[in-house]
Amino acid sequence: MGNCNCGSEPDIVIPGSNNNVDTTLLVPVRGKIIKIVEETVDTKTFHISTMDDKKPFDPQPGQLGMLSLPGVGEGMFSVTNKGENHIEMSIKNVGELTDELHDAEEGQEVGIRGPYGNGFPLDYCKGKDILFIGGGIGLAPVRSLIMHCIRNRADFGKLTVIYGARSKGDLTFKEDLFKNWPQVPNMELNVTIDRAEEGWDGHVGFVPSYVEELKPKPQVTVLCGPPVMIKFTLPALQKMGFADKDIITTLEMRMKCGVGKCGRCNIGSKYICLDGPVFTLEQLGELPQEY
Amino acid sequence: MEKLTQEIRKTAKEILEKGQANVVIGWEKGSAWYISTPVFIDKAEDVERLVWDEYCVNNLAKYLLDYKTVEGKVAIFVKGCDARGVNRLIQDKQVDREKVLIVGLSCPGMKDEKKAKELGKNAEIPLVKKCQECRYPEPIIFDIFLGEKGKKEPAKGKDFSDIKAIEKMSSDEKYDFFSENYDRCLRCYACRNVCPACSCRECIFDQSKSGWLGKANNASNNMFFGITRALHVAGRCIECGECERVCPVNIPIMLLNKKIIQDIDTLFGDYDAGLDPEGKLPLGGFEYSDPEEFM
Amino acid sequence: MLVIQKTKIKEILDTLAKEYKVIVPAKDGDTSKFIPYGDNTEMLLEENVQLPPKDVFFPQTEKMYKFKSKKNTMEIENLPIEGGKQLIFGIRSCDMKSLDCLDQVFLTKGTDEFYKEKRDKTALIALSCTKPKETCFCTSMGLDPQKAVGADVQAYDLGDKIGFEAITEQGKKIIASIEGQLSEESVVVPKFGEFKINVDVEGVPEKLKGMFESPMWDDISRKCLNCGACTYVCPTCHCFDISQEVRGEDGVKYRCWDSCMFGEYTQMAGGHNPRPTKKERVRNRFMHKLNYFVERYNMLLCTGCGRCINVCPVNMDITAIIKQVKEAE
Repeated sequence: MGNCNCGSEPDIVIPGSNNNVDTTLLVPVRGKIIKIVEETVDTKTFHISTMDDKKPFDPQPGQLGMLSLPGVGEGMFSVTNKGENHIEMSIKNVGELTDELHDAEEGQEVGIRGPYGNGFPLDYCKGKDILFIGGGIGLAPVRSLIMHCIRNRADFGKLTVIYGARSKGDLTFKEDLFKNWPQVPNMELNVTIDRAEEGWDGHVGFVPSYVEELKPKPQVTVLCGPPVMIKFTLPALQKMGFADKDIITTLEMRMKCGVGKCGRCNIGSKYICLDGPVFTLEQLGELPQEY
Repeated sequence: MEKLTQEIRKTAKEILEKGQANVVIGWEKGSAWYISTPVFIDKAEDVERLVWDEYCVNNLAKYLLDYKTVEGKVAIFVKGCDARGVNRLIQDKQVDREKVLIVGLSCPGMKDEKKAKELGKNAEIPLVKKCQECRYPEPIIFDIFLGEKGKKEPAKGKDFSDIKAIEKMSSDEKYDFFSENYDRCLRCYACRNVCPACSCRECIFDQSKSGWLGKANNASNNMFFGITRALHVAGRCIECGECERVCPVNIPIMLLNKKIIQDIDTLFGDYDAGLDPEGKLPLGGFEYSDPEEFM
Repeated sequence: MLVIQKTKIKEILDTLAKEYKVIVPAKDGDTSKFIPYGDNTEMLLEENVQLPPKDVFFPQTEKMYKFKSKKNTMEIENLPIEGGKQLIFGIRSCDMKSLDCLDQVFLTKGTDEFYKEKRDKTALIALSCTKPKETCFCTSMGLDPQKAVGADVQAYDLGDKIGFEAITEQGKKIIASIEGQLSEESVVVPKFGEFKINVDVEGVPEKLKGMFESPMWDDISRKCLNCGACTYVCPTCHCFDISQEVRGEDGVKYRCWDSCMFGEYTQMAGGHNPRPTKKERVRNRFMHKLNYFVERYNMLLCTGCGRCINVCPVNMDITAIIKQVKEAE
């Protein structure tokens, strides 16, 4: 599995909740949505706490959580940030469950269970210059690592962000991009949109060509975005001489149990919910191309 | 039948070499002497795999749907029931007549592979029940015909004796009979996937979102599946019996289909599906002389 | 060995039934499976049953928890896991091995309580086979049809008698409870019949690793109908779905068997499906059985019971595929 695991085997931690329900592996804890932030016209970030205002679980950057709406279904989403007493998930409206979630209001009670997945390799990234590449909603899982680096600023080198979306309206985490992150020391932000539009005087162009233009020189690259962006960005990175083991991405598959038992999310012999979703390019090269 | 096997191989070879079709669908020998299984030949040198014997019971018509979007013609070997299956798909506009090169074979009736397993190679093995009742052993649609006609005497008229036996039961007995059978249903959907009349691009039972039928396995859900599928193919069932043959837990699925066929005969007049690719379906058309004002 | 006449086996089961819920291989309508022992049970001991014993530990549909949702609130109520002391009599070598495979999935890297509860509380009396069915090939998978692995008691089919041999501590207790009904005799375990199917699996998992893109899968998958028959009768297949049934405010969340053969198995919200055609799905199934599971847990996910070959509408044959892999360049 390479050297890409943050410490030991991911432990399936299921905390008890305030209604003293003894939970088993597939049963969620009761939680509630305490805040909803509208990122774009089809993406919202949900802040979730337990009923007694604590974090439902303590995720490492890159880990996932299973969010459920009773009577509608469950879905696996990446945790994009955590706070003292809550976790955040950014969710795009693409299907039945997400459609209902987008209709929910603050105070809506939900089921939540986790953390699942292997998370980003924090030890491997320590002390290094990191390049974060995101496209559209793909910034959400990468953001969890960015926030971790910012919270532990001294442990990491230069942070460079290259982020693009279809249009100004499709840019997610605008508050971070334009207000919070510019204030972080030794952090460079590069935002682009696909086509020029009124009211935008920043860079215009696709992410892969923007990466080639900027010629960044990080030691580790973390990227996530739509398949077409990854398809064109990877060759650009390899052309710039980055090693496969220094390029990290996070994958997505349909998931149901979240603990590597229902068999659904496998790519080759790896379960994305258990052995992933974070993989280096080197690890991906050993897996069958089925994603 | 040995002679016919040789003719089949020769015909398939010609078809491929002359480019009359890109693939030939037929049968080859399977894991045991009582199994002949579908095979897809696209190279002339592979035609030796093709066979014709009394275990070629698989209905090949369903595979035409896999070639809907693939370029080129498809050649297919058909028995009587298979030919009706091909007609069905043409009638439903799922397959273009021009796309298919149909090679007809007169069917002597297929032997029952379950009995063959029990009785052994040297015993007298009976025909599958559906073949005993078959009224169309001759393929009614073909481009090429191989061998002699009239290998089997078609049965006279439809046999509804098993349906009448169930109709005589009381409501409670009927309920017990069907729930006992459908309790066993695994919801593997083998019956749906093998049926030439089941050709919906997106089956209602795959739409888990809309909640028509939950995935839970219990007698009530299973019966809903069985009855719904029977009603969806009503008026289009060609009585090939494949559904019943493939069921891993031996549910008598044809009983539902035959009951509906009996009712259609009573309500709409004697009707056999899959005979005329241009023909009108009893449940798919409306005549001004119909007693109901609306369909 | 301690033996009893086959005709008197019900007496033993009646004794055991006082302490356990006894499950036996029996006829069930037009098929055969493992069902609870009762007065009218028609046992089937001559050959293995058509449906596997996995549903004793991993039921086809299993309720996990109840929930209530009113306006924007919800409540979760755990359901007690169905269990209780059970005993399966008459489980064959191939099915015993399948339990070993299922244990790897459900009991490692996080314990599945639903499975563990039943597995811990179920005693197992294995029964040796005397002759293989047309479709059996357990010896090719490294199993001994006359000695199962992991059972509490090994029973031997001796023709007109059945012999018992305790293996574990619990097995010894079971034998002790029925000892009065058995008699000590010297016996000869009958020699096993010839297998019709013999296939060499040596090296196949390693070879398959490089065969993901092989054109062989196009040919193999063409006749598959993509139904779920093979996965549902397979003793080791364990894929499941999680869904719910809602009536007004009340709902139940359950898990149920699912099949990797179905089209929407890997269908993602938003439309992308990494296995869009049957070729990918058929390839995934055989790779999982013969390569992925070996990579993860060092054992094949096939025990040679032959049920899939028996049940497949179009005679997809895993042994033919193994042979094809072995012979490929």
